Amino acid sequence: MERTYEAVEQVLRRYNYRKENLVKILLEIQKLHRYLSKDVVHYVAVALQLPPAKVYGVATFYAQFSLKPKGEYTILVCDGTACHMEGSTSLIKAIEEEIGIKPGEVTKDLKFSVDCVGCLGACALAPAMVINGEVYGNLTADKVKEILRNLRGDNNAQKSN
Amino acid sequence: MTVYVDGRQVQIDPNARNLLEALKEAGIEIPNLCYLSETSVYGACRMCLVEVDGQLVTSCTTKPKEGMHIKTNTPQIHQLRRGILELILASHNRDCTVCERNGSCKLQKYAEEFGIRRVRFDELAKPRFIDASSPIVRDTSRCILCGDCVRMCEEVQAVGAIDFACRGIETRVSPAFEENLSKTECVYCGQCVSVCPTGALYVRNDLEKLYEALSSGKFVIGMVAPAVRVALAEEFGVEKDPFIAERLVSFLKLTGFSKVFDVAFGADLVAFEEAHELLERLSNKEKLPLFTSCCPAWVKYVEQFYPTLTSNLSSVKSPQQALGSVVKKIYARKMNLDPEQICLVSFMPCTAKKFEAEREEHAGTVDIVLTTRELSQFIKASRIELKKLEPQSFDRPYGVSSKGGLDFGKSGGVLSSVITVLNDEVGIEDERTFELEKGIRQIEVKTVDGRTIRGLMVFGLANARKVVSDILEAKLNVDVVEVMACNFGCVGGGGQPYPNDAQVRQSRAKQLKELVAVKNLVSPTENYHMRKLYEEVSNLHELIHTTYRPRKRVVHEDVEVLPAPNGEKVMVKVCLGTSCYLKGSYGLLSQLIELAKRKDYSSVEIVGTFCLENCDHSPNVLVNDKLIGEANLEKVEAEVERQLQQQRVHDASQTNV
Repeated sequence: MERTYEAVEQVLRRYNYRKENLVKILLEIQKLHRYLSKDVVHYVAVALQLPPAKVYGVATFYAQFSLKPKGEYTILVCDGTACHMEGSTSLIKAIEEEIGIKPGEVTKDLKFSVDCVGCLGACALAPAMVINGEVYGNLTADKVKEILRNLRGDNNAQKSN
Repeated sequence: MTVYVDGRQVQIDPNARNLLEALKEAGIEIPNLCYLSETSVYGACRMCLVEVDGQLVTSCTTKPKEGMHIKTNTPQIHQLRRGILELILASHNRDCTVCERNGSCKLQKYAEEFGIRRVRFDELAKPRFIDASSPIVRDTSRCILCGDCVRMCEEVQAVGAIDFACRGIETRVSPAFEENLSKTECVYCGQCVSVCPTGALYVRNDLEKLYEALSSGKFVIGMVAPAVRVALAEEFGVEKDPFIAERLVSFLKLTGFSKVFDVAFGADLVAFEEAHELLERLSNKEKLPLFTSCCPAWVKYVEQFYPTLTSNLSSVKSPQQALGSVVKKIYARKMNLDPEQICLVSFMPCTAKKFEAEREEHAGTVDIVLTTRELSQFIKASRIELKKLEPQSFDRPYGVSSKGGLDFGKSGGVLSSVITVLNDEVGIEDERTFELEKGIRQIEVKTVDGRTIRGLMVFGLANARKVVSDILEAKLNVDVVEVMACNFGCVGGGGQPYPNDAQVRQSRAKQLKELVAVKNLVSPTENYHMRKLYEEVSNLHELIHTTYRPRKRVVHEDVEVLPAPNGEKVMVKVCLGTSCYLKGSYGLLSQLIELAKRKDYSSVEIVGTFCLENCDHSPNVLVNDKLIGEANLEKVEAEVERQLQQQRVHDASQTNV
């Protein structure tokens, strides 16, 4: 994979390299890379002439920022009270069985990442999860596995075979 | 301004920064754990709660107003403060007896004064991480998140090596990516240590090495810095003792030191040498303004933040290293001693001096650096009563010093000594000093031959940064700049005893001024033993000079940009550090990627790197081992082509074989 700072530079340019815009700049960069890597944090610190510790502090303060790579599909499993009661733990187990990662982790091919979150506000659909903004409700372990297979393209591959 | 405090009518300063300071002036010390007079107000610890007109407010964030009715000590306030202390203690590592700050900890002191004998809450220990990678040690389990160190580092010292990271229960003070301090831009000034209320930040204790040296049969030589004596006097309750340094000499002799010298001698040597360096630079009109280089924190600061100005730093070593070199190279020969058999121990007010002694170019000169606090511990553990010892003079020949040399211990001392030497060398008609702002004083002298020499005396690295950027923008025109990283100079060093606040520092400076006042020798030029060194040692200049070079701020691995397959390849590293970045190294990186694609280089790998430590020739590119300064596309392309050609020739010869 080729990596340049071209996209990062564009974001910085758009915000006139101003330190006041640090949060917006980091948000946009994260949108592009799906996380904030160590070298991007250092790069932004150099470009905005801020101490790296300050940029790191901001990046770790807000829950929106992630310093670990996220997958192409970010799975948020709801572990709020309703979902928890309805068996969100079994969903997490199903995900691990299917793609081999626990909450907070990402698959080696950077296809999937999974996180546990508080409440997604979809209690009526408990247990629920959100993948790249789309809500999946009334889930069971089997349904979760099915959804993941579809996203991975396994089913399509089988069809074409 | 009249206010009513606990029912009494009290006059307070209407210009006071806040109630906390106003009340302190009026004789009521409000407890606090996160207030520093020299930084912005944080208002986080809530210990400074007072009642103003029936309402509870934090006194650090409240402006005094005429006629205020203030209650500072009601049962409710007492109860609240106790509660706060208990909450802090619940998540604080409380093994006080083995803490570096045992006896000097502010939290411990308050816990005692407020009678905390039991903490009602469950213990919620912070994860313990000890970073002992540098002279400044961090212990996260003792941190109470007051943020004093963070504000000190960022606001007063303009470094920002540490900051708050994460949130809520996870919050901690840390360098970026939980890195060790030794891999950051920290300059080891130790000002964070001097304001830390607990043992979360402390100075590495090297006393063990001293005990080892004393039992090893080595020839142990001590040397004592100017600022140490006044702090020691304060520590042992004998502030007015004019012979404290001489009593210390006796003490050190009792404990096994063979000789004890005065670093003020080294300071005389440095002032004398630096004055001549200044004259030389003035007549050659080069490397101006001259920056003093006695303060190792300032030196590291310049190397990292002003890498293009490293040649402005005086090439004269600091008094510690200059005297150290003289002892190891000249004294040893004179006394027929093998330098390896000498253990040279310096007593310093400073944490950065430990780092200085360990710098590559100085290694092996000063063997052990101990701060005033370590020295005080050494004295206390010996059970010898310092103040009852008969005074004894420093040893010859490096025990003699002038007013100038001893004055190095406080801000302004180096420059005024240099000026004293200038007076002897070229004659000075007129001298004027005025304060530009707190921490920045200007001095202007007229020489007999009609020249005007302008100098600045600066303390605090944020002040230094201001001054340097004004110089770079040609808003300030000066010939010489003295910088001391710590407020009020070395008397306020990070290795000085607690408390180490502005008030104490000023009183130490005053004590030192008195010691300076009674010295007979006015100028370093009058120091007979120093003059003799010049006569006897032909390579003295070489011994006491050094050089400085750009230093990277953050240790960071290279970043893959355009990888090439394994095997023989030409490695192109483009520097993306601050200096190079500002000179457009990113544009160059883009051009190189394009070039590589256009020419279809299959064995050229491009990476980004953070600082090649050649900042005075930015932008820099490293092609294999060849460093290209003031790099542009043509230069880099030519070098890449040359290396590729070499590789082809090499490959061809291999195949022929």
